[in-house]
Amino acid sequence: MEPVPEDIRLLNGAYWLTRLRWIAIICVPIGTYFCGSVLGIALREIPMYTVATLLFLYNVAVLVMLDRAARADREVSPRAVKRIIHLQICTDLILLTVLLHFSGGIENPLVFFFIFHMVIAGILLSPKESYLQATFAVLLFGLLVLLEHKQLLRHYCLTGFVPHCLQESMLYIFGTFLVFTTALYVAVYMANYIATRLKRAERAYKQANVMLEEKDRIKDEYVSRVTHDIKGHLATIQGCLAVAVDRMTGKLEDPEADLIHRAHTRSVKLTNFVRALLRLTQMRLSNKLEMADFSMGEALLNVTGAVQAKAADKSITLNCNIDSSVENVFGNQFSIEEMVTNLLLNAIKYTPANGTIDVRASSGENSVLVKISDTGIGIPKEEQAQVFDEFFRASNAKRAERDGTGLGLSIVKYIVERHGGQIQVESEEGHGTTFNLTLPRTA
Amino acid sequence: MEETKILIVDDDPDFTAVLKTVLEGESYVVDTAPGRAEAMEKIQADKPDLLLLDVMMATWSDGFEMARDIRKNPEYKGMPIIMLTGVEQRTGIGFKSTAGDPEWLPVDGFLDKPVEPQVLIAEVKKVLSGKP
Repeated sequence: MEPVPEDIRLLNGAYWLTRLRWIAIICVPIGTYFCGSVLGIALREIPMYTVATLLFLYNVAVLVMLDRAARADREVSPRAVKRIIHLQICTDLILLTVLLHFSGGIENPLVFFFIFHMVIAGILLSPKESYLQATFAVLLFGLLVLLEHKQLLRHYCLTGFVPHCLQESMLYIFGTFLVFTTALYVAVYMANYIATRLKRAERAYKQANVMLEEKDRIKDEYVSRVTHDIKGHLATIQGCLAVAVDRMTGKLEDPEADLIHRAHTRSVKLTNFVRALLRLTQMRLSNKLEMADFSMGEALLNVTGAVQAKAADKSITLNCNIDSSVENVFGNQFSIEEMVTNLLLNAIKYTPANGTIDVRASSGENSVLVKISDTGIGIPKEEQAQVFDEFFRASNAKRAERDGTGLGLSIVKYIVERHGGQIQVESEEGHGTTFNLTLPRTA
Repeated sequence: MEETKILIVDDDPDFTAVLKTVLEGESYVVDTAPGRAEAMEKIQADKPDLLLLDVMMATWSDGFEMARDIRKNPEYKGMPIIMLTGVEQRTGIGFKSTAGDPEWLPVDGFLDKPVEPQVLIAEVKKVLSGKP
């Protein structure tokens, strides 16, 4: 999982706040109605409904602001989003204080809803900012309690819920206010602590990921270097043997000639393996693949033409059907041809004589679909998931053909993915295999 | 002089061809088998004087198991076995030091792949002369 960048994290947080507020907007009128009409608690209903309406209007305004901040230019400014979050929390705190004022002030246990905003601030804002928000909440609530206590502001007693007006009792006010203040600061502290830990873990994951990628690259370079050296020696060995084999034609009964012939065949196989390994590693190491518009139909005809002779050797019928709707593809034609060649050579290799191979191309939604099916030996169900793995060869493939690098399909998959495409295999053992290829028209 | 029969058990036909050519050059009678089952049949039928056994065939321990099976069978108890191996590098198991241990690896000699003809001949002669 990719770590979320700071600006997106803040923006998501801001939207999250608006969603939570919709819940409050629904709950305030319902709660007011329930407490007033069903439980018979004395509430100033009109101001309560007014607060709910204000909440609604202000939430719509926040959404408009957020949409604008997100759309203004493609880069979301974290500072702008942070300002909106500050505004939201401050406004919420003020409205909650107003709500409390009309529903009994300090007598109303709803005071502890301040904690929600402290947790949100702790998660979204910096420690300093969230402590400031906590202080703001404490001051707001303190001011309300003080003004009501000094009777500078009217106190609406929650008759029906509390036995008598509690705000007259000094001890109750002090006790509740003290607990309230501590709870707010502790909530901020805890939320900050958790948020910091999470951010640190996220950063560590990111670093570990970068390190792993680097190690993988070093490994690829190593393999590439070693294979390259091996290939050099191997080419010479193969060359020497080829000359010797050439001069020994007609003397194959000699045990020496037989051994040299065997050595030559094996060196050719090893060269093929080394070449495939080198190709795969180098593809992985190179970051860019030169891409251009090319005709997919033409590429398929090139490839089928090139392997036609091989198919004919085994009396295999090779059909190529290209729908006229197939358009150009943006990609690397050489790689695509190499990829289809690999698939077709595989099909020829594992299809018994007199079989059929079908290549079909059609156009999908903004993509080209290529279907390559054969009447070959198939792939056992339980091994189908592994066929694209490096060095893997299906058990029946090994029985049918001793030689094979186990790299062909890995190269195929790599090329397809490099083009933003997909490849899937369908197969039934003993009946044949179909590879379904989807290549986007533009990568 | 009575002819000496050697059976080579290895799933690589090219490699067995090389060994066969070298040993036949020394006037041994050489037969080959690509796997365990074929090898056991040929051992029963021909009673070879020496077995050249590859470690890794169908599974990485096929050769080991086969050597142990042979030693358990009283009929072939005395048959000398030389084990051919390319395994050491891949698994990192240094089992040469345990050669001769009748429980763990009951063989009479070891040869690393690839084998130089002179080394092969020398080892074969050594093992055969040590026969009681």
